[in-house]
Amino acid sequence: MKKLTKGDIEKVDPAKKDIGKNWIKVGMSTCGVAAGAGEVYLALLEESKKRNVEIDIRKCGCQGACSAEPLVEVNVEGLPKVLYGRVTKDVAITILERHVRNKKLLHDYIFEIN
Amino acid sequence: MEKKIIYLRDTDSAQQDRINDFFTLFSNELRDTNLIEQVQLVKIADIGLYEKGVTVKILPENIVYIGIKNNDVKKIIEETIKNNKIIKELLYEKKSKQIRAVLKNCGYIDPESMEDYIAAGGYKALVKVLTEMKPENVIDELKKSGLRGRGGAGYPTWMKWNFARGMNSLEKYVICNGDEGDPGAYMDRSVLEGDPHSVLEGMIIAGYTIGSSKGFFYIRAEYPLAVERVQKAIDQAAAAGLLGSNILGSNFNFELEIRLGAGAFVCGEETALIASIEGKRGTPHPRPPYPSVKGLWDKPTIINNVETLANIPQLIAGGGAKFASIGTEKSKGTKVFALTGKVKNSGLVEVPMGITLREIIFDIGGGILGNRDIKAIQTGGPSGGVIPREFLDTPVDYENLGKLGSIMGSGGMIAIDDTDCLVDLAKFYLKFCVDESCGKCAPCRLGGYQLLRILEKISEGNGELEDLNKLKKISYAMQKASLCGLGQSASNPVFSTIKYFEEEYRQHIVNKRCLAGKCKALVYFKILPQKCKKCGLCMKNCPSNAILGSREAGYVIDPQKCIKCGACFDICKFKAVMKE
Amino acid sequence: MKKDRLQADLEGLVRKWKDKRGNLIMILHSVENIYGYVPRDTSLKLSRLLDVPLARIYEVITFYNYFKLEPPGKHNVSVCMGTACYLRDAASLIEEIEKILHIKEGQTTKDEMFHLDVVRCLGCCGLAPVMMIDEKVYGKVKKNEVVDILSKYVKEEE
Repeated sequence: MKKLTKGDIEKVDPAKKDIGKNWIKVGMSTCGVAAGAGEVYLALLEESKKRNVEIDIRKCGCQGACSAEPLVEVNVEGLPKVLYGRVTKDVAITILERHVRNKKLLHDYIFEIN
Repeated sequence: MEKKIIYLRDTDSAQQDRINDFFTLFSNELRDTNLIEQVQLVKIADIGLYEKGVTVKILPENIVYIGIKNNDVKKIIEETIKNNKIIKELLYEKKSKQIRAVLKNCGYIDPESMEDYIAAGGYKALVKVLTEMKPENVIDELKKSGLRGRGGAGYPTWMKWNFARGMNSLEKYVICNGDEGDPGAYMDRSVLEGDPHSVLEGMIIAGYTIGSSKGFFYIRAEYPLAVERVQKAIDQAAAAGLLGSNILGSNFNFELEIRLGAGAFVCGEETALIASIEGKRGTPHPRPPYPSVKGLWDKPTIINNVETLANIPQLIAGGGAKFASIGTEKSKGTKVFALTGKVKNSGLVEVPMGITLREIIFDIGGGILGNRDIKAIQTGGPSGGVIPREFLDTPVDYENLGKLGSIMGSGGMIAIDDTDCLVDLAKFYLKFCVDESCGKCAPCRLGGYQLLRILEKISEGNGELEDLNKLKKISYAMQKASLCGLGQSASNPVFSTIKYFEEEYRQHIVNKRCLAGKCKALVYFKILPQKCKKCGLCMKNCPSNAILGSREAGYVIDPQKCIKCGACFDICKFKAVMKE
Repeated sequence: MKKDRLQADLEGLVRKWKDKRGNLIMILHSVENIYGYVPRDTSLKLSRLLDVPLARIYEVITFYNYFKLEPPGKHNVSVCMGTACYLRDAASLIEEIEKILHIKEGQTTKDEMFHLDVVRCLGCCGLAPVMMIDEKVYGKVKKNEVVDILSKYVKEEE
């Protein structure tokens, strides 16, 4: 990897950070993985390909709502950013079909953390 | 009209089906007004509010209404959804109790990607330090910020760093204490797993400030994922020139290495931790000399907790004064707690210093499981104490928790309800400390063992009133005479439970009863004839044939034979078996 | 087979760490990762290679909970007894496992299939009570689920 310079870091503006409009993040810390986040992450990768759903799937750390793990955050253009909890493989597939493709939010899995 | 979304949630836990009625009401109303296509109605699992009745949130405006009744539905659709008017009577001004500073990136960036960290503003503090700040400027900012060690003791960070900076030595070390041994706490693990680069950045800045060129991460071996992610972060930073020689074109050199803990609680104590990095048994030694004078391999060393170091980048980037704007007079900034025990939403929370315990447990944690009564809160793990419910409105900071006989600790916060026995809890913590005592000094080695024996005697029903005095005396001796923090604080759980719950101890000693039903020898099982349906299930499941009777006559438990296993209590579908 | 490879590796391992100060614990970690415990002949070899008295190596091994002197069972069952799990009755899980496997904490079953450990906080307090078999964590375990979880591992063998 190329060495970074001070300029490389200084020119970054976090306010203008663009991480794309359509993405799913899966919380992959110990507690998330213990609750099954690994399976969910793989299911999302495989099923999105199989079903031709275009979405960027990433890993992230712990959001803090441990009792609701595994947590999956979804951002799709035109909809608010949503945090789903207690996600299973089946729920993950429903997220792809219902939320990402049809732009309908899922019932009973959204968590808002105070 | 812009597409709207309505979140629907019943925040009262007792009303299971009410939410479906409201869902029908709302969808009928939307259909009648021909809005069903423009509005998404979604039942959600948690809205971050508790015991506030039926609650809706309307997006994208973020309007929250609470305590909604049936006849409010029409009004909400008509006024807010159609005409964008706010209904004042229902409005709830939702203020988040949490402030995400240390956990800013946790759960948002990919912890395995340095690019993600940099894109979120990472390493800007390091650039600032290397280009425009001298070590003494960093110390000044730390002093202004009022940052105190997040590992538990709350020692001002700037003083620690300043001592080490002032030492004349070619070799100095920076250590990150990631030996999170407090059972029930996992703040450090989450930070190391979720945002490792922020801790790295804090360490590099620490190295620059005290004039060190070598740092160690000391991480529990029980945290393999944290170790893996930190190692990845170190490799990435080294490849990008953020570690190594002439960092970012300056003449500052710094290297980092991971050393693993091996399951010894005492190694969270700084002198024991140093011994462990040196490859020896983790036995502490007396201070002074403090590590900042004579630490790792007898060289000046600073040891900071993970959370303290993770605070550094945002503190430097935003300035000490901004950091100090949050918190109380003597405790600044935020604190991460691992909220667990009998609380509904257990998890990681980050709150400003000075928030009350009640706000943490009820507004963020959602209250106690099964809506039972809260009895106490335990903070600080095996070195801390319990705080009874009367003090729920105490603002959380180092001084206040200390006054109540507990400590801030590293951030474990455990809710205890009326089904928990405090004698048993004290025994649990004490057993932990007795197991973990390194054995070097007598007060801890012998005192802990004696305390445990007395507690066991009490919970077996053989306690005498004189034992209470003995417990107090031994606790006091351990606090005064032990060599290190582990021994000095090991008796805290005993001390504080006696202080606030002496009545419960007396119940055990005088009445030979454990009202919470935890101490087996002091629990008695009884079959209530008025509830018993005479099914005989208890008799079939009793391993010691202690249940006598027949389907006609009903059943009784023979106390002589009962081994108090609780099998009958668990199996009875009619709650006819009683514990007392 | 594994043993032979390690003996060859041991010298490589020592070479990698020899110049670093305080290397003993890290070397023991590597040994433990391969064997699941620290065999006596390995300690003897390490003593020679590192020029450290055997007593010092044993001093370290016996001080830290993480290092073991006995080979573990095929499957390692660890029940978390951190505070959160303790409050949510992890003790009853331990009782249940002891009853099913006929072993006590720290022991291995006669067929060397399971080894039972009680551990301090696995860091999954949100999922309490928690038990771990090998690398897999089971959260929110109920007493009556224990038998199913354990039998999965027995069935795998058949």
